[in-house]
Amino acid sequence: MLLHAAVFAAIFGLAYLSHRGKSWGEHDVTAGAIQATMVSSIPLPPRQRTLDDGVLTSEKPSPAPITAKEKTEVAPSPKDLAIPTKAAKPVKTADKVTPTPPKHVQPVPPQPTKAATGETAGIRIAQATMQLKNGTASMSVDDKTFGERFAYYVNVVNRKVAQNWFTQEADPRASEGKRVTLIFDINRDGIPSNIRYGARSGSASLDTSALRALQRVQDEGFGPLPQGDHITVEYSFDYRKQ
Amino acid sequence: MISPVHTLSPRTPKRWLIAISLLLVCASTLQAQDWFKTETSSGADRIRIAVADFKPFTTDPQTAPFKRTFDATLYSDLANAGIFDIVSKSLMPQSSPGAPAEINLAQWSAEPASAAMVAFGSLGVQNGRLIANGFLFDAKNAQYPQVLAKQYNEAPSEDSARQVAHRFADEIIFRLGGGIPGIAETKIFYVKMGGGNKEIWQMDYDGANQHAVTHLGTVSLSPRVSPDNSRIAFSSLGHDGFQIRMYSLLLGRMVNISNAGGTNLSPAWAPNGREIAYSSSRTGDPEIWISDVNGGLARRITSFRGPDVSPVYNPRTGAQIAWISGRTGLPQLYIMDSDGSGISRMTDGGYATSPSWSPNGQFIAFAWNRKYGPGAPGGQDIYVMEIATKRWIQLTHDGGRCDFPSWSPDGRHITYANTADGRPEHMKIWTMLADGTQKRALTSGGADMPNWSWK
Repeated sequence: MLLHAAVFAAIFGLAYLSHRGKSWGEHDVTAGAIQATMVSSIPLPPRQRTLDDGVLTSEKPSPAPITAKEKTEVAPSPKDLAIPTKAAKPVKTADKVTPTPPKHVQPVPPQPTKAATGETAGIRIAQATMQLKNGTASMSVDDKTFGERFAYYVNVVNRKVAQNWFTQEADPRASEGKRVTLIFDINRDGIPSNIRYGARSGSASLDTSALRALQRVQDEGFGPLPQGDHITVEYSFDYRKQ
Repeated sequence: MISPVHTLSPRTPKRWLIAISLLLVCASTLQAQDWFKTETSSGADRIRIAVADFKPFTTDPQTAPFKRTFDATLYSDLANAGIFDIVSKSLMPQSSPGAPAEINLAQWSAEPASAAMVAFGSLGVQNGRLIANGFLFDAKNAQYPQVLAKQYNEAPSEDSARQVAHRFADEIIFRLGGGIPGIAETKIFYVKMGGGNKEIWQMDYDGANQHAVTHLGTVSLSPRVSPDNSRIAFSSLGHDGFQIRMYSLLLGRMVNISNAGGTNLSPAWAPNGREIAYSSSRTGDPEIWISDVNGGLARRITSFRGPDVSPVYNPRTGAQIAWISGRTGLPQLYIMDSDGSGISRMTDGGYATSPSWSPNGQFIAFAWNRKYGPGAPGGQDIYVMEIATKRWIQLTHDGGRCDFPSWSPDGRHITYANTADGRPEHMKIWTMLADGTQKRALTSGGADMPNWSWK
């Protein structure tokens, strides 16, 4: 009895001693707490993902295929059909050529007395250029009004000299990219005279070939001048290897 | 091409890349097209001209046929001139303007006609006269388009409609051709076979209006017209053999020329019209002789063993004669001064005949069989030789035997006789440009020895 009482007292006393000074809910860093564990953290096997449209994975039964009922076309009654009529073609009318309006003499705008600077619309020079097999021939006439009024004559002169310029007379290596300018007068009968160099090219053979082109024309000339008793022409030969 | 590069901003690098790659692509296509070229022989291009049908301005029933003749003649004259690139009729605008106020030049200068020049006008029969108004306009010059305006007033006939067209064409060619007169009014004299005889005939340069000149009932050969178109010299078979004969085109009858012994062939007029050179065998050997136009004052200028025939003067100077000589065997082409000095051989072999000196004096056209001989694969063709350098070009190829070339006065055309199968009754007279292009026949068979008038 005494032993039982001693054991009981010892257990009680030890429990009292070991838990003395501490109580539940006490403000303490090492305070005990109830830990609640969620159910999801239970290591159960994951649930299988189901697809609704998959036959094997869907839980719903798949729908039965729709069987469409065959339709029969009702034949239209002959009265419903419209009798086709010819579509009327639109009447074609030829485009009338509008006649050029009669030319009125335009009033001459007053010329500015001050020199305009900056970009211009372009300067009209009585000039003709002809592309040749072996270069370019271009000419300009000193008399600007002549060049505008008789542009065809300027072209005739340009063409005739170009036709008589034999580029093979010029040394291709020395003449490449060079330009020689001749100045000459055309008299009333169209015969060139007073032929002189305006600017030499630096290639003697090119200079000579240009001079010979003019000399070949000298026999026949270019045809009588349409106006005036002479014009002065500046003619440039540009040699370019083809 | 540059502007997209300028509008670039640094924030749009992708657009910049696209622009650069576009530039590269364009550059590479340009490079690829570089080989494409078209060329003419001289390098300079021809004038592109449109010839509009003339507009009838009267309702006279004669107007329509005359207009047809006029239009066709004008078109073919300009097409044959050799200096134009003529606009095909199908590319021209539908309108036929009759007066300067009616033409819309922009229409003609635009595609597809792209004409640089337009010839147009009106034609009609009014009060018993054929009246034609012709204009030539520069289609590229909007401000001053008119180049030429002409009015013609003639008696109404088919022939005058053609003559008016020839004259208008010559005016256009003279203005645009650079000082060389046109040849639309020139004539060609030739030999026509018929009934065993050969007579001298005449035709216009385009083959129209063929008619006989002589009616001698014998064999007449090698007609040569004088420089002033007043006489024809030819050689004709008579009682004394072949003699030089003379026909006056002004009088319309034969005129006298003194006979000489032997065979006298192939007369040639000096360009001053006062002398003729011909081949005569009065001394036994055919030599070149020169006499005045009445056959007097004859003098011999060659003296070599072997035949000397077919003289022709240099028409520019009159101081040189080209002829055919057989002094070394086969006939060859020679030139000499007209006093018989300064002889120079031009051909180096073969069989050369019938020289014709070009009007500017630079070239000689002649017939040449370069590979003459038994079994040689040669044919007789027309050649042109530059006298200064003795370089030549061949103008006809593989068309059968060609002979008797003759220069036109503008130096751009050559007429010649050609027979495809070698038979003389199939010999026709042809014309071509002096570079051998645009060949076409002028006559039917049986025509030979053409000679182009001097003007």
